[in-house]
Amino acid sequence: MDYLQLGSYTFSSRLILGTGKFSNATVMLEAVRASGAQLVTVALRRFNREQLADDLFSPLRALPGITLMPNTSGASTAAEAVRAAQIARELSGSPFIKVEIHPNPQHLMPDPIETFEACRILAKEGFLVMPYIAADPVLAKRLEEVGCTSVMPLGSAIGSGQGLATAEMLNIIIRESNIPVIVDAGLRSPSEAALAMEMGCGAVLVNSAIAVSDNPPAMAGAFAGAVDAGRKAFKAGLMPKSSFAIATSPLTAFLGAKV
Amino acid sequence: MITLELNGKQQIVPPGSAVTDLLSIIGSVDNNVAVVINDRIIRPDKRSTHQLQEGDRVEILIFAGGG
Amino acid sequence: MTNLPDWLTDGRNSATLAAMLDPSSSSSLESLAIESRALTLRRFGRTMTLYAPLYLSNYCSSGCAYCGFASDRKTPRRRLEPDDIRRELTAMKKLGITDILLLTGERTHNADFDYLLRSVDIAAQEMQRVSVEAFPMSIREYRALADSGCTAITIYQETYNRERYEALHRWGPKKDFIERLETPARALEGGIKTAGLGVLLGLSDPGEDALSLYRHVRYLGRTYWRAGLSVSFPRMRPQTGGYEPPFPVDDHSLARIIFAFRIALPDVELVLSTRESAAYRDGMAGLGITRMSIESRTTVGGYHDPENNGKGQFDVFDDRSAHEFCNAMRAKNIEPVFKNWDPAYNGPADVNNTILHPVKPQPCL
Repeated sequence: MDYLQLGSYTFSSRLILGTGKFSNATVMLEAVRASGAQLVTVALRRFNREQLADDLFSPLRALPGITLMPNTSGASTAAEAVRAAQIARELSGSPFIKVEIHPNPQHLMPDPIETFEACRILAKEGFLVMPYIAADPVLAKRLEEVGCTSVMPLGSAIGSGQGLATAEMLNIIIRESNIPVIVDAGLRSPSEAALAMEMGCGAVLVNSAIAVSDNPPAMAGAFAGAVDAGRKAFKAGLMPKSSFAIATSPLTAFLGAKV
Repeated sequence: MITLELNGKQQIVPPGSAVTDLLSIIGSVDNNVAVVINDRIIRPDKRSTHQLQEGDRVEILIFAGGG
Repeated sequence: MTNLPDWLTDGRNSATLAAMLDPSSSSSLESLAIESRALTLRRFGRTMTLYAPLYLSNYCSSGCAYCGFASDRKTPRRRLEPDDIRRELTAMKKLGITDILLLTGERTHNADFDYLLRSVDIAAQEMQRVSVEAFPMSIREYRALADSGCTAITIYQETYNRERYEALHRWGPKKDFIERLETPARALEGGIKTAGLGVLLGLSDPGEDALSLYRHVRYLGRTYWRAGLSVSFPRMRPQTGGYEPPFPVDDHSLARIIFAFRIALPDVELVLSTRESAAYRDGMAGLGITRMSIESRTTVGGYHDPENNGKGQFDVFDDRSAHEFCNAMRAKNIEPVFKNWDPAYNGPADVNNTILHPVKPQPCL
């Protein structure tokens, strides 16, 4: 069987779900169920008695087979991210942490320097560190080097729906990585998720595309199918692309006739 | 009464209140929250005995939606 | 018997290469050449990097069945002393050479690590780039080489077929298959910047060896991700030992291997030596090969006194002068590059260097 291995955890689903932007928790939980996702990311927020329904901990735990992956969204520095991770692990009991440090609230691009520092510390503290990064092949290797469990390069900016704008960089990261590469952010459609899997990603993380759809559970199911199809195609071995035209006089004439 | 900073806002509680008392006051009925006082995490097993002090900075945190 | 490492036996990522290497594959040699040429042009431009080998010594302790310098051969043995080395370097520099490969046999009392280190030191004072093709060393020894100015090492596994390897390497330290296999990793660990790999084509099934070689390159690339990597394609030729290669590789097959490697490894330097003929080298220039040796002498020394001294390790097929070779390159619109490095870039790769200041988080627990 083709499992996604993260630390000592094995997952049969390669679709990871984000929980933001849903109209309400019920729809979100339906979408999680429909997606077959086994890893779900949640943010740490202040308790608010006016909005008790914001609390996803109980409802998510009630779903079978779900492992929580808290994220550090809201942190703008390594210190804040490390602190959030420690609090999150304490609350959830899960060793997973998605290190998400985006100081600019417009484009939400991840800070590579703070991210690297946070990951360095958290890996030493025994977390299963999953950093959210720009599609930077060198940063990906440096994070692998300090002990991250995976790298999560963005396909395009969070919520932008621009798909795999970083495809060329993703290809390099995937080729060179010894740890699973999980495309996160920017996937708009199931076909893009399938493409990411065909490229060799270990998994994809989808949030906005499902949450803002008219029918999130149905869209979640569609993404699940696409991720499955893409992975199967990757394992089966895609036909190589060839993009070069035929020369007018043969380049291999100098070799003479084959003996 | 003693004054705390709770989630960035002022909160008053009776002196000698433990963390569990504060949680009741604010309406957190289950234990799905993280409690951080002056940057130190207070685990569930310590909440009934940990007494709040004047000026404590308290953060009560939950898991909410977010990518 | 130590098990073979997973990266060597795992064929999941080498299927595309295997398909290209298969002579009955649907990809004609010409179509592979076209793709190889396009990738080479895009990544390396119209250039050919040049270097020359300097054999420091032909003393050897090993008994490789195929080598003219095996320890049971009657070849007269000698080694270059420091003054000899300086004279050779002067002669080489007159030919325009600035990038040299220092060679010795397997470790012997007469040509041991200290001898090699001293020689590297001398060469580094005269040459822009010094590489070494010698015997497997320890991480500490590689670090010392790097500190003395050696930026690259070449070490051929000869064949990745363990049974064939052990049969061919009849005695001496080279008999240890796993130690040799782990050598390039040790070199990169020790701060050598580039590792050159290869198999001696003809010793075993070339398709199998090519796949193993590819897996070795990919494994090193993923693990030592700051390192440079190069692949050579030495093909067994008639030589002083008289060994007949049991799996001879013809011109078409060698071309297929080179094109397939370029396509599968678009960023890796591919090297062809003067074992190959002038016509073959001219043909392959621009189609995939990006580095070639020139003016090669495969005897000990041989640049200072060309009328010299006994048999070389192998017969040089392309014996053109640097001048003639450069003309041939230019005729093909390829620029011969004598200097592609500066010693300012030397020094061991310090993988632990970081300019970041560690953050001290607030304690929470």
